[in-house]
Amino acid sequence: MIIDANVQPHFRYNAEIRRYLSAPHKLRAIPDVELQWYQAPGGDYRADLYGDGYPGSDPETVAHHLFDEGGADYAILNPLSRGNIADYLLNSRICAGVNDWLLDRWLEPDTSNRFRGTIRINPEDVRGAVAEIERLAEHPKMVQVGVPLQSREPYGKPMFEPIWEAAAAHGLPVAVHVNGGNGVDHAPTFAGHAYTYPGYAAFMPLNSFVHLATLIIEGMFGRHPNLRFVFADGGYDILTPLMWRLDTFWMSMRDQTPWVDRFPSEYLPGHVRFCSSALDGPTDTSQAERWMDFTDKADLLMYGSSYPHWSTTEPETVVAGLNEGQREKVLWRNASDLFGISARVEGSLT
Amino acid sequence: MQRRAVCAVEDLPPGTMKLVQAGKFGVGVYNIAGSLYAIANYCSHEGAPLCLGYTRGTTEYAPEMPDKIRHVREGQIARCPWHQWEFDITTGESLADPKKRVRTYEVDVADGQVYLTA
Repeated sequence: MIIDANVQPHFRYNAEIRRYLSAPHKLRAIPDVELQWYQAPGGDYRADLYGDGYPGSDPETVAHHLFDEGGADYAILNPLSRGNIADYLLNSRICAGVNDWLLDRWLEPDTSNRFRGTIRINPEDVRGAVAEIERLAEHPKMVQVGVPLQSREPYGKPMFEPIWEAAAAHGLPVAVHVNGGNGVDHAPTFAGHAYTYPGYAAFMPLNSFVHLATLIIEGMFGRHPNLRFVFADGGYDILTPLMWRLDTFWMSMRDQTPWVDRFPSEYLPGHVRFCSSALDGPTDTSQAERWMDFTDKADLLMYGSSYPHWSTTEPETVVAGLNEGQREKVLWRNASDLFGISARVEGSLT
Repeated sequence: MQRRAVCAVEDLPPGTMKLVQAGKFGVGVYNIAGSLYAIANYCSHEGAPLCLGYTRGTTEYAPEMPDKIRHVREGQIARCPWHQWEFDITTGESLADPKKRVRTYEVDVADGQVYLTA
């Protein structure tokens, strides 16, 4: 079995989202998905997929690529919203529109039962985000909550706690993924603005670790045993040295955060997962198996294709060099445990 | 190991420590609220002079407090001057990782005199 834990479905055309917004918001300015400075040369998505509709916008084509050609059994759909728009109330309506569209165009018509969805929420609107989770959490095909990687505060801050609490209460992991569109964001790296796409894209996932470090150190995982985060842009390969640092600091400064009652790295198995990305892992695959064993990363990583992104990754590329046990965990077992998806029975619609 | 005189009891009142020349690195003899303890002046991390750091308490999680922290075990914790590791003087255990210990020694009092076996 293969579960693809990171797929970005798109509207057929950017303005299609307006059909899913109510009258007061229909005519507002809304950034396009690919409206940001750090765009891949040639477009963010696979050149062969730009056509009549936007890449990744036709459910049948996507199903054909992922399931028939790619060999996946299930795909977790995590659509982008449109950036951290300063009008946080409008942003919340955009998230709700994306969610309604995902149900209307992808999840409810899918009689093969292979797609699962993400409840997009806007963390800058805490009440709105909690309300959106409550509105959709019981839908059987919604399996996670989605937030942007770009944030003006680290996600461990207590202001976000009601959102994480709501997600945990419904058993929904929170997926953090680079968002599309153009919002009011900080510079993409700690040192400021990169000036080329590689300078941006190679290290953008470092932001995940600021979210992760604060979630641990501010006690979010300690207070919410059911809270789980998925870092969907990859970066699992740089997890180990960063956790070494966090563990080392905790040995020294433990008394400042007594609610962290174990080594920070000990929170990982129960609370943290990563999706694979094309940029992850040793370039020499003969080192992959050994590196995966540091920090028990084989228990944390889930295959994610990033389809239809230009860096779409095949399952075999992600598990190259891994042993049988590691392969199985990465390709489906970890995702199956996290999302409660069991092996697909041919012909079954449930 | 050898039992040696440290000082008169009244010269080691509660809340104080005497560093004794014993072994390679010295031994700190502490009076914590009237009870006597001794630990090696040698941090198990990188060998820093442990007893020359702060002697203080530590913290525990207290969700009911405004700052969510309670100060406990006052005077019972040796804080390494180099990397701030905390050790419980009464047991020699590191607070973060009890597997990382410092050595403890016997202390006794006879005829008003404090003795250390180290």
